[in-house]
Amino acid sequence: MASCWIENSTLLTAIVGTWAPFVTFVLIMLFTRHRPKTSAGLSLASATVSLASALVLLGGHWNLQRPLEYTGRWLVSGDIYIPFGYLLDPVSLLMLTVVAIIGFLVQFYSLGYMAGDPGFSRYFALMSLFLWSMMCLTISPTLFQLYIFWELVGLSSYFLIGFWYEKFSAGQAGKKAFVMTRLGDVAMFLGVLLILLHLGNLNILEIDSPKIVGLMPPEMLTLAALLIFGGIIGKSAQFPLLTWLPDAMQGPSPVSALLHSSTMVAAGVYLFERLFPFFLFSSTATTVGLAIGTISMLLASTMAMVSRDIKQIWAYSTISQLGFMLMGLDAGGLFAGAFHLTTHAAFKALLFLCAGVFIHQYGTNDIYDLAAKGTRRMRVPMLCTIIGAGALAGLPPLSGFFSKEVILAKLAGLPNPIWLVAALLGVFLTAYYAFRPIFIMLFPPSLPAANASNAAPEGTRHRLLYRIMVGPLVILAGATVALGFLQTPLRNFLAGQYTGLTTAGGAHLGWLPYVTSLLATGGVALTWWEFGRPGARQTGFVDGIPVIARFFAERWYLDRLYRAILDHAVDRGISAVLAQNDTRVIDGSIDGISRGTVLAGRLAALINAGMIQYRLLMIFAATVLLSLYFFF
Amino acid sequence: MNWLLFTPEIYYLLVSLLFLGASMGGRATPGTDYIAALSAAAVGMAVTAAAVKLEGSLFAGSYRIDLLSQVFKVILSSALFLVLCICAQLNGIRERHRRDFYCLLFLCTVAMMMLVSSVHLISIYLSLELSSYSLYVLVALRKNANLGLEAGIKYFIIGIFASAMMFFGMGMVYASTGAGYLEELTEVLPGFVHDPLLMLGLLLTLSGFFFKLAVFPFHFWAPDVYQGSMNQVAAYIATASKVAAIGILLRVIAVLGEGNAYLIQVLAVLSIVSMTLGNLAAIVEHDVKRLLAYSTIAHAGYVLIGVLSASAGGYSGTVFYAMALLLMKFTVFLVVVQVASAGGNLRIEQLAGLHRRSPLLAMALLVAAFSLAGIPPTVGFTGKFLVFTAAMQKGYFTLVLIGMINVVISLYYYLMMVRAAYLLKPDEALPDLHLSLPLRTLTGALVALMLVAGSFPYPFIQAANAAVRALM
Repeated sequence: MASCWIENSTLLTAIVGTWAPFVTFVLIMLFTRHRPKTSAGLSLASATVSLASALVLLGGHWNLQRPLEYTGRWLVSGDIYIPFGYLLDPVSLLMLTVVAIIGFLVQFYSLGYMAGDPGFSRYFALMSLFLWSMMCLTISPTLFQLYIFWELVGLSSYFLIGFWYEKFSAGQAGKKAFVMTRLGDVAMFLGVLLILLHLGNLNILEIDSPKIVGLMPPEMLTLAALLIFGGIIGKSAQFPLLTWLPDAMQGPSPVSALLHSSTMVAAGVYLFERLFPFFLFSSTATTVGLAIGTISMLLASTMAMVSRDIKQIWAYSTISQLGFMLMGLDAGGLFAGAFHLTTHAAFKALLFLCAGVFIHQYGTNDIYDLAAKGTRRMRVPMLCTIIGAGALAGLPPLSGFFSKEVILAKLAGLPNPIWLVAALLGVFLTAYYAFRPIFIMLFPPSLPAANASNAAPEGTRHRLLYRIMVGPLVILAGATVALGFLQTPLRNFLAGQYTGLTTAGGAHLGWLPYVTSLLATGGVALTWWEFGRPGARQTGFVDGIPVIARFFAERWYLDRLYRAILDHAVDRGISAVLAQNDTRVIDGSIDGISRGTVLAGRLAALINAGMIQYRLLMIFAATVLLSLYFFF
Repeated sequence: MNWLLFTPEIYYLLVSLLFLGASMGGRATPGTDYIAALSAAAVGMAVTAAAVKLEGSLFAGSYRIDLLSQVFKVILSSALFLVLCICAQLNGIRERHRRDFYCLLFLCTVAMMMLVSSVHLISIYLSLELSSYSLYVLVALRKNANLGLEAGIKYFIIGIFASAMMFFGMGMVYASTGAGYLEELTEVLPGFVHDPLLMLGLLLTLSGFFFKLAVFPFHFWAPDVYQGSMNQVAAYIATASKVAAIGILLRVIAVLGEGNAYLIQVLAVLSIVSMTLGNLAAIVEHDVKRLLAYSTIAHAGYVLIGVLSASAGGYSGTVFYAMALLLMKFTVFLVVVQVASAGGNLRIEQLAGLHRRSPLLAMALLVAAFSLAGIPPTVGFTGKFLVFTAAMQKGYFTLVLIGMINVVISLYYYLMMVRAAYLLKPDEALPDLHLSLPLRTLTGALVALMLVAGSFPYPFIQAANAAVRALM
């Protein structure tokens, strides 16, 4: 690798593109922390470099025949050899481009959103750190490298959620996100180790090749696939580890747009694409995946129907759409998953950035408050939100319609119709919750007196910031509209991947598009009836039944359940016993010590406090038990 | 007898004797003493490094010099040097005890160096005791006699208890086999696998090492001793003492453990209990040093996973882990010593606002905590990866699973420290912490080393592999 990397222009582009953000991160942390403008400039420059290199790579390899792989040695221990390097194929190139584009737009947007924040430099440094790790994750040729960067994106997410140091709940949320995703990573790490043991390496191309079936017994393969799926559950916030994502919305809006909707949480889905053939080798794993995806999709939809926080609504919809992608992938549609991932990245980033503009302007997350303060007067963001929500709801001719269509076609091809029915129900619910905030914000019961300053912010500086923020919105809205028409080129591009595995595009049912658009329109119409029409009471049908509304709003009591388990099993149970023990013993002995003055007296007090014998007895008992064990 | 082989030990013994002599007379000159001790430790590192290629045996074959022992001696000498680096302000002890402190520290290092070279039951016992006794006194030296003395006595009582068990075990081993050299034991062992006397003897023999390493059930001293001793001594116990214990444990298990199902199972049980207990107890802890003590207990559990894998990969992973532990633990203690500048104990809340008072220290704490929690690309992750891979190769799936779950639990309290340093606001504004230039360089170097050794571990793994080859 060392000899040829400088001559090989593809590899050089990849290296420059992926490592530029890292260099920026180091530079900002070391030198320009106190010069916010320089930091932002550096960060934006590196994001531009990454974007350019991603586009060059994508353009240069549009007709890629076979995957390009460049590797060098990372470590050799015993008979295990682990390389690091780059793997370029349609799946990774597409994801790389998505990450680079959204990353660039969000950083540009942040110039306006974060302006004047005391941690401006730190914010851009962390954004660069994230961009670097996400891009390196995307082009990993081995599962091991992927795992390392998988953890690193989690780490950047932890820092960025807790970005506002002063906000205590943000720190808590960051921790929750980190620990919960790590829980999934435990399973994933074990799965990776299992593969390593049977295959002897972690090369993704080899894991995906059919020879793995010969190397791993079927039950081992299923186990490994399920364990790795555990990692996906954690990262993509699927059931039962889904509650961290809504809390993660405590971070700044651009962070939610980049990390917690379009790229980082999609890394789980990306991992599935990466190991697509491997998962398909185990039918148990795909069925479990299908079930998890369906449950998450429906569960999150119900939660989104009652939430009042605009960012949380979009967060629930992210969970639900990620579940939808997993359904498509598990049904055997690589293109279905990848296409929806791409369109979703565009319209979800758009929705979050719009929400960011509202929040930045009015300082509240509550949709009713926002409506009352007059969001409808901010024309461009409002229009962009409607476009984004339309795509989310799957209204034709927006991109979401086309990508959902592909997934539904795949599901229709499955022998069991229940998946299709569940997915169609999901389409209806999605349309309902996507347009609920729209109608609430568009038709508030009363508006403050029309005041020009509300619509267009005052002052040249303020207006400049506003323009900076609106720019990316327009681009993303354009992408949301256009992407749907790129379906065929993208399908051809991805067809080079895993040739022979991608089965023909599922059942081509003529009626499916009509049913889908009918359901979506029905959902929107119901919302309009409840929230939009003149004189509407602006309460959903769910709110009519308090028990259920409360149930949804409390996230099906999942958090309470986890909390209770944690409290009882860990906090109140084991550690409390240990802690109590310690305080009693230590306080006792220290009191004892201060009473006496002579050493003998102290010793006596120590022994009288009873702790040393007690501990020695424990040692003795444990040793005896271990010895007894020999005789069994 | 080739005394050249013994050079590093002789050097450290001489330094220790010099400080002993100095402590008996003359006026205390803290500044000069400190410079002398620091330079002596630096020279010692060079001497030990120069002796790394030596091979041979001494004292009628009861003392072996091979690559394993020499690598561990290098680690030990660097541990001593590092600990002395943070001794510039010895607020924890009286001024007249400074020279005693240096004397004991060097003496303890000699003892540990001898420990990793010992291959006879008696030489193992003697060097273990010598190192323990130095530590008992070091712990009790603390100015705040209530804390130090109490901890010292607890340490001493549990220590002699473990030592008595160990000696009893050695007696049983000798009684049943008549062998005292580890090599002889390897030869006779296959014939005695079902002999209760020998097996129980081996178990009891190991208890001495378990005590040093703070493995359940010999861990009770750790929280009290860490809390009671002064910060620098706690740092020394957490780093050097653990490294030495790992070294001798590797030697003994490599000889006895392979194919010995009973011992392996016992080790597995102890490993599981240690990690789980250590991690759970640490969650509710608010004193940083007690928390670190529980984390040490948990890490002892991870180390045992590598040891009980009883394969080349497991052993070299363990050696790597020993280096990693030294780096991570020392970095945390460096922060503790600097923040608790008055020499007192540190509570987690007192870390609040550290990132404003000293960004460098906060970052060092962050990297070290993440490394301890095993997050890539830090050295702690690579160490855990090597150890867990070795265990998986032996098919210990459940063990690795429990280990991984523990890693997640541990994340919780490491994040507590990080959160305090970055997110909590101090109740009252605290002055900035100013580090001297050498200390800043050291901190930066440690952070860089943790990241570099985690990202490019290959040279270190090669060194560990080479060292372990002496065992196989």
